Amino acid sequence: MNRAMAWTILSGALNVAAVLLLAPLFQGILRKITARIQSRQGPPVWQPYFDLLKLLGKEDIESGETPAMQRFAAYLSLATVLTLACLVPMGVAAPMNGAGDVILLIYLLTLSGICTLLAGLAAGSTYSLLGISREMMSMISLEPLLVVVLITGALHVHSLRLDSVLNGSLYSGGGIPWSGLVLLGVMLAAFQAFVQRVPFDISEAETELMEGPLVEYSGPKLALFKYAHMVKLIIYSALFASLFMPWGSHLEFPMGWLLFWMKVLGLVLLVTLVAATHARYRIDQAIRYFASLLVVAAIGLVLASYGY
Amino acid sequence: MTAQNRLEQLREKFGAAIRRTDFPADNRLFVHIAPAAVKGICQYLFKDLGARYVISIGTDDRPYSGNFLVAHTFAFDADHLLCSVLVELPADKPSLESISEVVPAASWAEREMQDLVGIEPVGHKYLKRLVLPDGWPQGLHPLRKDARWDDVPTGYSDDRELTFDDPPEGCMVVPFGPFHPTLDEPAHFRLYVEGEMVRGCEYRGFMAHRGIEKLAESVMSYNDIPMLAERICGICGCVHSVAYTQAVESAAALKPPPRAEFIRTIMLEIERLHSHLLWTGLACHILGFDTLFMQSFRIREPIMWIAEKITGNRKTYALCQIGGVRWDFTPELKVELRQTLDKLEAEWRPIVNAVSGDTNIQKRTRGVGVADKKLVKSVGLVGPVARAAGVDMDCRRDHPYAAYDRVDFNVITQNDGDVWSRLLVRLQEVFESIRIIRQCLDKMPDGPLQLEIKDELPIGRIGLSSIEAPRGESHHFVITGENNRPRRWRVRAPTYQNLQGVPMMIKDQQIADMTISLGSIDPCFSCTDRMETIDLRSGAAKVWSQEELLKLAQARNRS
Repeated sequence: MNRAMAWTILSGALNVAAVLLLAPLFQGILRKITARIQSRQGPPVWQPYFDLLKLLGKEDIESGETPAMQRFAAYLSLATVLTLACLVPMGVAAPMNGAGDVILLIYLLTLSGICTLLAGLAAGSTYSLLGISREMMSMISLEPLLVVVLITGALHVHSLRLDSVLNGSLYSGGGIPWSGLVLLGVMLAAFQAFVQRVPFDISEAETELMEGPLVEYSGPKLALFKYAHMVKLIIYSALFASLFMPWGSHLEFPMGWLLFWMKVLGLVLLVTLVAATHARYRIDQAIRYFASLLVVAAIGLVLASYGY
Repeated sequence: MTAQNRLEQLREKFGAAIRRTDFPADNRLFVHIAPAAVKGICQYLFKDLGARYVISIGTDDRPYSGNFLVAHTFAFDADHLLCSVLVELPADKPSLESISEVVPAASWAEREMQDLVGIEPVGHKYLKRLVLPDGWPQGLHPLRKDARWDDVPTGYSDDRELTFDDPPEGCMVVPFGPFHPTLDEPAHFRLYVEGEMVRGCEYRGFMAHRGIEKLAESVMSYNDIPMLAERICGICGCVHSVAYTQAVESAAALKPPPRAEFIRTIMLEIERLHSHLLWTGLACHILGFDTLFMQSFRIREPIMWIAEKITGNRKTYALCQIGGVRWDFTPELKVELRQTLDKLEAEWRPIVNAVSGDTNIQKRTRGVGVADKKLVKSVGLVGPVARAAGVDMDCRRDHPYAAYDRVDFNVITQNDGDVWSRLLVRLQEVFESIRIIRQCLDKMPDGPLQLEIKDELPIGRIGLSSIEAPRGESHHFVITGENNRPRRWRVRAPTYQNLQGVPMMIKDQQIADMTISLGSIDPCFSCTDRMETIDLRSGAAKVWSQEELLKLAQARNRS
């Protein structure tokens, strides 16, 4: 075992441990700030940890139509986001850099959506079916946005390698990086939807669908889904930071690492503010919104292919 | 036009059918007619004279006159007149031609009459049970005088499942309720959904019946009932209590002292304030806009505190008794109430400005849940739902009660009839309520709180009272009776009419709009479900069997 391999394993473990440990904290910060905006005291920032522990300790009731699939969906959901954590650089270079490229990244991100689909199908209730139909509709229209962004980055650096693309590749065109700036706007506008928060929490919509696909989940498996949901916020923030905010990523271990988590915190604050000041969109309104973003993103791609 | 003019109009056309008339005051008209003419007269009132349908009441009058009695009540809002068409039916054959074909708004009232009093509306197109559960034995009508108030009939089975109509072809059924996060109370809508579009729905409600009306006319007394009436609803309780009291006062021709009238007005407006703020919060919550939900509730809280200071309770004011009120305003309370109002106004204005300019909320509410003028008329929609559709109607102005004839206020209307318009109407009405309370505080005279009542209340008189509750017109109907209690008391909450419009409002809309469309009428199921005796369909059935619960309840009742 050489040094590089040891470093791969170590940094992979570091990433996974970091997201597992910090995701509930960011969720707690999000909740606390939301509460402050709403003139509430709010729960302590540690509350999400307690919530997860509480759920993990509850009786495991399998009330859906196909419990085996329900179980599988819950495990797969968390497993997927943790695998993603090994592929995305988080203040240290992407640990499993050689194990995959951006195409794998896209597939894994899609897979985490598929988990929701499986969960909804397994529950088999009308509300969960409505929820997954919404989930699929938004996935189909959102996923291309991310693909366009990653492909643009790949075009600029002429590589699909994770460490090349996920390092501010969007700005590496010649002169002023027009395509990068266009796509930065697009990603900012769609970010709330990627992390599935208000106004785009359409597929769960508590007041309409009673949590949609998760309606039959309770106890430990619900905890896994909730955990995955929190981690997702970190993963997408990390992706966003690596693609569009590469500054300081070359710094040595503790500094670069800390700077990275500050960026993530900034994005979480942004998500919180948007969520606290918006009402939920309807699925048709959301799809129309995504479609218009896709048109803009396509323009960015064209710009990139001409080298801008 | 006066009551006399309206009567002449009726006489001209239906002279032969009119048996007896009675107008105890300028604003009330009772016309007793022959049963055969009922449909014609109601059609004439509703379609030709433009009266608004209020409610139909069936009552078992056999112990007193030997007959059943049906009253169809209409309102001439511009004339400040409430008009009841009364029909006596023979005891052996209580059936009457249905008017719901010409007055669609009467559909529920007639179904209820069939369920509870056993008066058959002949020719009603959809005579499915409305109030009684499907397991209730046939031919047993709980509001008849020979039905005991505390009886559980033999053959009643409360685990019988409800029967439903078949959904239209190609539609999936989405059950909405009985329990759903946005329904605070049980009610069941079976939505027929095609993709994300709602194509129709069936409503089954009345799941939390408490037998309030039967209880009142069986065991309580005139001055107990305001307390019971207050418990019909957790939001507009004071409305029901005042409405009942006024109905009795109108039947007995009593007039409470002016100070009492002003105090009633203030408390009703305080109730409207807290109710509108609560609604704004809940509507925002339904739309996923929790920040405004929390802010509304924060701003609302001082109103609850001042209500507690005035009456001793945040919500259940226990304000009314026949001929007066029980709580007075000290000078200190007046000062504090003014301060609360100033603070409320200052905090509410920025919210109204923020919401009025918010495109995000408009996106979710414009063109959603539309009820136009035609629907308002045919189904008898009331309150902010009617005013949002441009129907200029407000009982406070049209049928003045308490001290509303002595204060100045605007009736807020909008024209689009959608959820957005309802939101705007309610936001603005808060300012009008504040204005009304301030005027009341200025003008409130000194004097007694309670009218001295020396004699027994007269027997067999009919009293009507319409009150503009936060959700619309609340109408109470009372027939005075023996033993210091009414013979019949019928409550028609605004939701009773507004709910009947919901299936039309949500048709051909996205399923995501269902919750806010329903929410926009500010539905109150406890108001609507107020009657009847049985509901034990609770989650506790796992621990207690339903029979055990029943025995327990009965043991407690008798002890």
